[in-house]
Amino acid sequence: MKRRSFIQTSSLVTLPLMLGGMEVTAISKSSLATLINPDTDKVLVLVQLNGGNDGLNTFIPLDQFDNLMKVRSNIMLPETSILKTGDNNGFHPSMEGFKSLYDTGQMGVIQSVSYPNQNRSHFRSTDIWNSASDSEDYISTGWLGRHFDLEYPGYPDDYPNEDYPDPFAITLGYVVSETCQGDLANFSYATIGSDGLGQLVDTVSGEPDNTCYGMELDFVKKVVTQSNAYSTVVSDAFAKGNNMVDYPDMKLADQLKIVANLVSGGLTTKVYVVSLGGFDTHANQVIGGDTLNGTHTELMDELSSSIAAFQADINALGLQERVIGMTFSEFGRRIASNDGFGTDHGTAAPLFVFGGCVKGGIYGENPQISENILPNEGVPMQYDFRSIYASILIDWFEVEASQVRSVLFEDFQHIPFLKDCITTTGIEEFDDQLITATIYPNPSEGHAILEADTEGGKVGVQLYDCNGSLLKIVLDKKLQKSHHSIPIDLSLYASGNYFVRIVEGSKQKTLKIVKI
Amino acid sequence: MQRRALFKRIASKPHLDQKVIHAAPPTGNFTKYQGEWTNIQAAHLLRRSLFGFNYEMLKQITEEGFENAIEMITSDLPAVEPPLNYDFEVDPDVPLGSTWVDAPYNVVNNSNGYRNRSLVGWTMSKILSTEINIREKMTLFWHNHFVTAGVNDSRFEYQYINLFRSNPLPNFRDLVKQITIDPTMLRYLDGRSNTKTSPNENFGRELLELFTIGKGPQVAPGDYTHFTEQDVRAFSRALTGWVDFGYRNTTRPDFGSSFIANRHDQDDKILSHRFNNTVISNLGDQEYNVLIDTIFEQDEVSRFMSRKLYRWFVYYKIDDTIEQQIIEPMAQMIRDNDYSIKEAVIALLSSDHFYSYDHIGCMIKNPIDFVGGVTKNIEMLDPPNDLTIQYTYWQRTFNSFRTMQMEYFNPPNVAGWKAYYQEPSYYQGWLNAVTLPLRQNFSNGKIINGAIASDNRLKGDYLAMIAKYDNPYDVNEVITNIVAVMLSKPISENQILALKEILLPGLPDFEWTVEYGDYILNPDNAQLKTALLNKLSDLLLYISRMPEYQLS
Repeated sequence: MKRRSFIQTSSLVTLPLMLGGMEVTAISKSSLATLINPDTDKVLVLVQLNGGNDGLNTFIPLDQFDNLMKVRSNIMLPETSILKTGDNNGFHPSMEGFKSLYDTGQMGVIQSVSYPNQNRSHFRSTDIWNSASDSEDYISTGWLGRHFDLEYPGYPDDYPNEDYPDPFAITLGYVVSETCQGDLANFSYATIGSDGLGQLVDTVSGEPDNTCYGMELDFVKKVVTQSNAYSTVVSDAFAKGNNMVDYPDMKLADQLKIVANLVSGGLTTKVYVVSLGGFDTHANQVIGGDTLNGTHTELMDELSSSIAAFQADINALGLQERVIGMTFSEFGRRIASNDGFGTDHGTAAPLFVFGGCVKGGIYGENPQISENILPNEGVPMQYDFRSIYASILIDWFEVEASQVRSVLFEDFQHIPFLKDCITTTGIEEFDDQLITATIYPNPSEGHAILEADTEGGKVGVQLYDCNGSLLKIVLDKKLQKSHHSIPIDLSLYASGNYFVRIVEGSKQKTLKIVKI
Repeated sequence: MQRRALFKRIASKPHLDQKVIHAAPPTGNFTKYQGEWTNIQAAHLLRRSLFGFNYEMLKQITEEGFENAIEMITSDLPAVEPPLNYDFEVDPDVPLGSTWVDAPYNVVNNSNGYRNRSLVGWTMSKILSTEINIREKMTLFWHNHFVTAGVNDSRFEYQYINLFRSNPLPNFRDLVKQITIDPTMLRYLDGRSNTKTSPNENFGRELLELFTIGKGPQVAPGDYTHFTEQDVRAFSRALTGWVDFGYRNTTRPDFGSSFIANRHDQDDKILSHRFNNTVISNLGDQEYNVLIDTIFEQDEVSRFMSRKLYRWFVYYKIDDTIEQQIIEPMAQMIRDNDYSIKEAVIALLSSDHFYSYDHIGCMIKNPIDFVGGVTKNIEMLDPPNDLTIQYTYWQRTFNSFRTMQMEYFNPPNVAGWKAYYQEPSYYQGWLNAVTLPLRQNFSNGKIINGAIASDNRLKGDYLAMIAKYDNPYDVNEVITNIVAVMLSKPISENQILALKEILLPGLPDFEWTVEYGDYILNPDNAQLKTALLNKLSDLLLYISRMPEYQLS
């Protein structure tokens, strides 16, 4: 049974004039300054791309261009138009903003992010990303909600209060984000912009009794009091804050502009969630015969221009050491395009992290594209998305490893894409992120050998099919620092493409093997 | 981090006088309710089975008595008249004032735009109907259960929604068969691209997971207790060959669904042990019937549906006690009636459990409930009898619950609106710092200003409203009656005093009798009338802003 205390609301019930945010705000102004350390107060901006983004046309693996032309020719961008970041990679031509962030060391590209047994259903996969559950588990709380539950036990009772006057998370939009769903309540405050809808009028409300009616009434009353209290501090911060650059006239930019304004206005909110929809590009992702234009081009432009403007603003406001952002989308799309100039639900896709404290560069390798693939084949996973969550919790929010484990249920690989914010710009090479490994014979009739050099840590070896399903865990144990030959048995499986993923600490490698 | 840790400890120090709410164990079982029938029980029944009601409806249902009330609410109604073309002059097949639901699609004049406006306006008019019947709430129930969205030919959408509205308490097995080959569903869940050479599992999976039997715990790879991945594949193959036709088609006038034999997989389909390894042999266009009969051999279907109905009509929490005392007997009743659900819905709405005092008022209204509720509670005037004015007003009202996050014909995904399945928030997901102010903006506007429909102001006449009471001269009766309509449970003495303070600031009760009496004697005195109307408007406004008003 969930306990709900309501000392604050119940003691105020008989004093209707005192309800609402007024007294909370009055207190907060004086005590605020002593609580916030502006140098250590960290902000995470989540950019949710709803619908499943086509990573292969976002950050293009140029070394795979020829084979991509064979399987998705009707949507391929002209090779010369791609904004190259090096010999092997480049951004979509409408992403000059991302290119510039990358060139100045403010953007990390984490390749092929997904989870084992990709579900490929929009709502289920979104639930998985929000909750950070395994593909087969149903978890009703969000990953940030669980983190906040550990930091602020008992929420929402007695919040906001003198010590914590501001919302812990803010969602720009009409619904609160499920990433912030805690055990008893959602930690995020929804707002549609600066000119809020105004204060809710307080009324003499009944005292909740111990029936379900009492519980729901208690909930509504908390929405009223919290909305009022939070809307006051949010509007105050909005009035105090400002923007230093022009933003493009785009929905995502509008949301990010408000975020920059609120952070600069001194709000201590830790997490902002913004979103952009329309990525479910089953049809007409590009215009037939004119692949430089179409839905995906507009989306890439909006994503890139909005984030570039936001980062420029954050830098101009001097907040670059306090704010990072990451994009995420429920899945990538299929490798092969369909006849309708679109792509269907796939597996992994690149994820972008940005900010002054991000170690710019590319994490992981380009996916290997075969010239003959099954229609339903997706990009195989290299990084589990929960590794990124874990790395943010540890490196950004300075959460202890044991606590990270209780938030994410198990240990995940740490990916060092954040740095101490001592100014070093430039793009780094991450060859040390890769495990030296090969697999042979390839193609294989059933019995292959994975040759790998390990460093003496816990090593995981997993076998996936081309839909992203985890077929088997080949190995999950501590190995001596040595060169190892690990047998991979494919004899039970049908012929086709398979992927072997080996992980040790923050390093990994994903290798394709063909079963004949 | 140190500083934060310190404050955390202080903040979480237990308060000695802390009051903790434990929800009491649910009471009441599935047997027929034997208790008193007052306007509290009658209002509870109306609140849960209609989209709002007014004083006269409540009075009628209270006076009818329990048995008659249930009978009236679940009785069959005559078929509705279809939506009309009210403003589009260039559809060659549909003159103004006629219906478009079976007329050809006309791309030259982009006729779907007006048809869609007509469809949503017409839908709103049904929601605003003051007929005392469960039809509209069941129609939305089925829409939320068999979700479709984004099918942009209004003829398809009309036919789809009409499947529910024409038979709101149907035989569930028959309805599953109908929806399986419904052209809108064939489009929404890709049945039309499900072929022997390229099976599409979208519908086959949801048929099992969301529409009939539900997904149990995963007990082995691909085995979800009630069905397996093997079944998803076999079901999908058995459904190959069905396509819709006529969608936005300007060359043929008709539309519907048909079976293309050479797209149908004729091989045997072997189901898993979850369906007793049943083999379904080729039966062509009749195969889907056999398939669905096979699902309905599993008792789990009746439990799955009972839970769904329970969350729609009673409450979201289903624990072991509810499972044993309500879900099981309800499921048994559904099976005993060969999957007709009417008897089970009647039994649920007549149950001791439904009327247990605990359950009254513990549902958070969904946006349609809220909008319908405000409109009827305050007796807003109907638009004048002019098609264009009516439809325009209905459409505008329809748009108000769209921003409150519930758009008819456009649920967020195939699982329906999250309030009915998303743990742990369920109904609470409707309300947050954006949607609650949006609701209050709506009720504020309607109570103070009404709605503008062409040159007409559709506002409730609050004096006419209280004139229907037995004794409108009695301020206590005025408050009691308004509260009975607007709030689900009686309110505290404090709250009654606050409400009385609005009508009679610092004055004794008899002053209401005096003021109201004055007005009755001088009904043309504008000053007297305005003063009373303002008081009543303030009273309604105050009640609509109480957190209690969000509860049903």
